Amino acid sequence: MRDPNRKTPKDVTLKKLGLALAVLLVLSVAVGLGCSLFGPLGFEDLTINVWKMRLLRIAAAAAVGAALASGGVALQGLLRNPLAEPYILGISSGAGVGVLLGLTAAASIGLPQWATTPTLAFVGAIVTCMVVYGIAQRSGKLDPYVLLLSGVIINSFNGAIMLAIFLLTPPRVVIDFVRWGMGELSYSTPPGLLMLCSGCVVLGWLLLMSRAGAFNALGLGDDVASSSGVAVQRLRIETFAAVGLMTAAAVALAGPIGFLGLIVPHICRFIAGPDHRRLVIFSAAVGAMFLMLADTLCRTTGSYLATGNIPVGIITAVSGGPFFIYLLRRRSRGASE
Amino acid sequence: MSDSAHVLQAKKLCFEYRPNEPVLKQISFNAPAGKFTCLLGPNGSGKTTLLRCLLGRLLPQSGSILLDGKVLGGYSPRLLAQTLAYVPQQPNSAFAFNVKEIILMGRFAHTGLLGLAGESDQRVANLAMEMTQTHEFSERTLDEISGGEAQRVMIARALAQQPAVMLLDEPTSHLDMKHQLIIYRMMQRLAHDWKMAVVCVSHDINLAARFADELVFIHDGELVAAGQPTEVITSDILQKVYDIETDLIPTPSQDVPMVRGR
Repeated sequence: MRDPNRKTPKDVTLKKLGLALAVLLVLSVAVGLGCSLFGPLGFEDLTINVWKMRLLRIAAAAAVGAALASGGVALQGLLRNPLAEPYILGISSGAGVGVLLGLTAAASIGLPQWATTPTLAFVGAIVTCMVVYGIAQRSGKLDPYVLLLSGVIINSFNGAIMLAIFLLTPPRVVIDFVRWGMGELSYSTPPGLLMLCSGCVVLGWLLLMSRAGAFNALGLGDDVASSSGVAVQRLRIETFAAVGLMTAAAVALAGPIGFLGLIVPHICRFIAGPDHRRLVIFSAAVGAMFLMLADTLCRTTGSYLATGNIPVGIITAVSGGPFFIYLLRRRSRGASE
Repeated sequence: MSDSAHVLQAKKLCFEYRPNEPVLKQISFNAPAGKFTCLLGPNGSGKTTLLRCLLGRLLPQSGSILLDGKVLGGYSPRLLAQTLAYVPQQPNSAFAFNVKEIILMGRFAHTGLLGLAGESDQRVANLAMEMTQTHEFSERTLDEISGGEAQRVMIARALAQQPAVMLLDEPTSHLDMKHQLIIYRMMQRLAHDWKMAVVCVSHDINLAARFADELVFIHDGELVAAGQPTEVITSDILQKVYDIETDLIPTPSQDVPMVRGR
């Protein structure tokens, strides 16, 4: 049967093409803009150095944005809850505790920072996942609301641990920690860290990609999904592990960046529809773009402000908070599931 | 019985959620291919628990469930889904997929790692839509169609799995009389024409007695009676199962009398 309203493969290809073009455009804007605009002339050495620094920072922004957004899509699909994302579920703050411990360890024991921070971030993220999941699950059943609530509780718990770490570190280091806690991309990201973290993001994303069809089926309920061939329990563990890995990488690169994993998936659902096979791809691309643009804004305005660069985490949190409330209000007005 | 015929068997099935509070006690019955079996019993008798055991979602403490002679736990999720499909009591989709997309999700266990539906998957989905008459609203979401239509979609989705056994959990409990008849006729047809083993949990004795080949009565976790409707629809059995006095009213159009609570 032919149905004229249905999206043809051509529409989808066009959308993908548009998406690729948009990513390229954002990339070129991000590279071009800065406190010094690049013209064809300039001091060769300096130009190349600035280019390199900027590219590293932009690559980090892309990796972080892609990780948080596709992680958000996966958690929302897995939990059938539009409010789920790594930050709200406490996974980001768990990774944050790990990063701070890693920075402290790197400073005091002399281990390389690019190795300690992502490793401990991953440990922190996974431990948080296990605790949050452990609280919310009862004999194989997962209560999405208990899950969100336990995320909130774990978040403040992790916040307290971070404050305790602040208390134990010398004041001149604390200022760096605080700055990091705002969620900031920097020019001085070690290339080794960037490589390692990007690798983790790609790995996690590939797993989510291969589970996208299962997220779709899960929307029909655990029993239906399970009877149609989804190993529900295993899927949950795999997804939490993948999102934990990606979030750890993102937090190691940029600190806890809130709400990006919430906003971008919703924008993507609006554009690309409910199919997770498409959403995992779209959200990664849009998330990367979103953070590249937001960070470009931070970099460029920073040179005109007395405070210097604005941490990009402030921008996402300021825009994400009201958006979260909007979703919450809209949901509570609608019929309960 | 020939080797190729599929069958779902429960053998001395015992299940409890908490120790020493048995919900199912030594339940044994067969649901062979080509037969439409209805599980009947009052609220809290253990029907839904039994169905969830048959689905492999609950593991019995003792006894076993055999699908084609093999223990249910021996099947991988994919292989099980290619043999056994499930229709829930209430259709529900958390995401705004349209009917066609939902039916295609029934192909999950037949598709590869990326879950992309090929031409044969489309063909199976189209056939499932034809059998359930869900064509005309294939572009709409579950919210945009009636409860009866949505339940037909869920049946089509289950059919897309190309199962040998269909399990349904009170599929008509929210439906009007016309749709109740449509769904029961459909289940009967799947058993008789398509040679599936159809097992349905039901609350409607009269519909079950009229369309099913076998009735299994459960009371307080125990199997009270099982057999053809003409054998087991008796005042005695109904009294035992539902704890009510009943009138059996002969009907001209069928062999089984109509049951009315007194």
